[in-house]
Amino acid sequence: MTIQRRKILQGLGSAGAAVAAQGLLGVPAFAQSKPLRIGIIAPKAGVVGTIGECGLRGTQFAVDRINAGGGIAGRKVELVVEEETNPKDSIERLRKLVLQDKVDCVQGIVSSGVSLAMGAVAEEMKALLIFWDGTTQDGVRETMQNPRYVFRSTDNECEAVMASLLAIKHWKGKFATYAGINPDYSYGRNNFAAFEALLKKFGVEAKKVAEQWPKVGTLDLTSHVAALKAAKPDLIFSSLLFADLPIFMKTAHGAGLMDGKTRFAFPGAGFQHTLLKKEFTPEGMIFGHNTLYFALDNASPLQRYFVQDYEAKYKDYPHWEADRAYFAMHIYRAGVERAQKAKNAWPGQEDVINAMEGLKVESLGGPAEMRKDHIAEQTFYQGITTHKNRYDFPTLTDVTRMYSDQLQKPTGMDFWKWIETANIKL
Amino acid sequence: MTSFFDVLLGGVFHASVLFLVAAGLQLVFGVQRIVNLACGSFYALGAFFGITAVNWSIGHGAPQWAFLPVLVLAGIVLAAIGPFIELLLRSVYKRDEAFQLLLTFALVLMFQDVLRFFWGANPQQLGNLSMSYGKVAIGAVSFPTYNVLVMAASLAIAVGLGVFLSRTRYGRILRATAENREMAEALGADVRWIYASVFTLGTMLGTVGGALVVPTAAASLDMPVELVVEAFAVVVIGGLGSMRGALVGALIVGLTRAAAISFYAELEVLAIYVIVIAVLVARPAGLFGKPVE
Repeated sequence: MTIQRRKILQGLGSAGAAVAAQGLLGVPAFAQSKPLRIGIIAPKAGVVGTIGECGLRGTQFAVDRINAGGGIAGRKVELVVEEETNPKDSIERLRKLVLQDKVDCVQGIVSSGVSLAMGAVAEEMKALLIFWDGTTQDGVRETMQNPRYVFRSTDNECEAVMASLLAIKHWKGKFATYAGINPDYSYGRNNFAAFEALLKKFGVEAKKVAEQWPKVGTLDLTSHVAALKAAKPDLIFSSLLFADLPIFMKTAHGAGLMDGKTRFAFPGAGFQHTLLKKEFTPEGMIFGHNTLYFALDNASPLQRYFVQDYEAKYKDYPHWEADRAYFAMHIYRAGVERAQKAKNAWPGQEDVINAMEGLKVESLGGPAEMRKDHIAEQTFYQGITTHKNRYDFPTLTDVTRMYSDQLQKPTGMDFWKWIETANIKL
Repeated sequence: MTSFFDVLLGGVFHASVLFLVAAGLQLVFGVQRIVNLACGSFYALGAFFGITAVNWSIGHGAPQWAFLPVLVLAGIVLAAIGPFIELLLRSVYKRDEAFQLLLTFALVLMFQDVLRFFWGANPQQLGNLSMSYGKVAIGAVSFPTYNVLVMAASLAIAVGLGVFLSRTRYGRILRATAENREMAEALGADVRWIYASVFTLGTMLGTVGGALVVPTAAASLDMPVELVVEAFAVVVIGGLGSMRGALVGALIVGLTRAAAISFYAELEVLAIYVIVIAVLVARPAGLFGKPVE
């Protein structure tokens, strides 16, 4: 079933005024058999278009299963999908979903630039909002210490922390110089800074010989690769993760950057895994697949079923955005059902929010929960690339699995202070 | 020394692609006096259409090595849209430059949706085809053969355009029309035909440029704006309307960018625009442009 903008897909009848007034206003519903309406805001175009597409497929999978099982606490789910673009327009779409479409909950958002601005608006509107992949961090500083209506994803730096730990674990003592090529916005800057902070924490004495900061969407990386090659680093840390990552890989391969002894760590490679073909993506690199590694050997039956379903429907293999979207839908479902059970009546929005705090669910990628400060904890996967598989792109060997409570700062703590003082084990 | 050649080749490769787009811009302005903002859209169209053409040809049994001629052919075929767009521009030839800019900017926006309609919103790539020609290695300097071919093609087009404009009868008519349209018309030049053919040639430079670059990069909706900004820096440095200016300007921009990325990556854009400002202050018409009398 396809998701279409402004089109309700899973409906069993029109949503009436009672349902519309329920949800966001916290007024008990008069007709609880009416479908729950959930608004989704996701990117559909540009360098993050494929990311949004995968997330929407994860949402659709979740909704199909929920509806097939009788809905959320007996109410079917309808989706109203809007496009994530810039912060201003995306916020307008949030208002439209809440005020015009009268949705019960809004989910989505990939860009932290959008979620940072949208979080405050949702709080003001008292609109229940669950981010897929967006945070409310200004850099690494949390701007919403005590949100009531906004629930956000894990810190963006989780994958950088994990890739840094793996690089240190596998290669400490084997590299004397390092370089970085990271996207020129807070995500890339913070990730590289986190990598350097962890090198320091674990006493790795290596010298930085180059750092490159291409803009997101840079399509010619020839000169960046030439500069990296000229610096002759033993290790390159790169959190490129959009369409620029395959371009970097091809360009670096063509320029001979991968012919020597240089090692590579790509914390966000999983976003582009199917485009990183074996011909130009060598074995032995650290790849991060974030919260969903589609080819996990001991994956849960849920993940195995999802991956098979995804492959059959889309002739493709999912990445972590599908998991983030699935998690958002399921933490909401679990929250509603927990609140309904406790109240023995249809819960209001405040009841659902209270129920979601501290709630644990099984997401596609494994165990996950929503902390009481409204920040998600999820299971992360990274490993070393291998060509020994049936695909035309590398998968992972020596997969490491970490729960994000080992990768992100605790409630209210400064990120850099946490790196300095935390008892992080390799 | 190895590092120097790596950086140099990176800069020249970028300059080669920039030259093709800037040359189209220069040609159209030189003869028709239209600042064609849509040149970046032709570049993007060439990239997307090139991917479709290569996928189609490989799907129909063409050998993989044939992708380069297929890309060039795709760029040339796509230039057939040139005469139709030139028809649109006829309404603004004698109007204020602001109208011309508005019309070509409208074309940029319309082509964004055309790209979205036919190819979707997501970036598209050609896998690893560019590496199927192997690498050229001289000592420790290694560079994909495909990139060398693109640089050679760009140089050949530059030389070909120079010969065409200066040594052929039609080229002389074009230059005469660029100098004085009324006089050329009075002497029997078919200006309508000349404008249509020049615009088509300018379009072709953009579409072929886009098709050639896509195996090493990706086709995306952001391409038109991203490249046109750099193409205008080339034009300002080289001089509006000058083909030699396009070549020299592209080399200056490409090499400056490569050097900035190597020495201080944050200055990638700033370094280019310092040169643009210096040229505007010291030589407002650009290095090879004619001063306004």
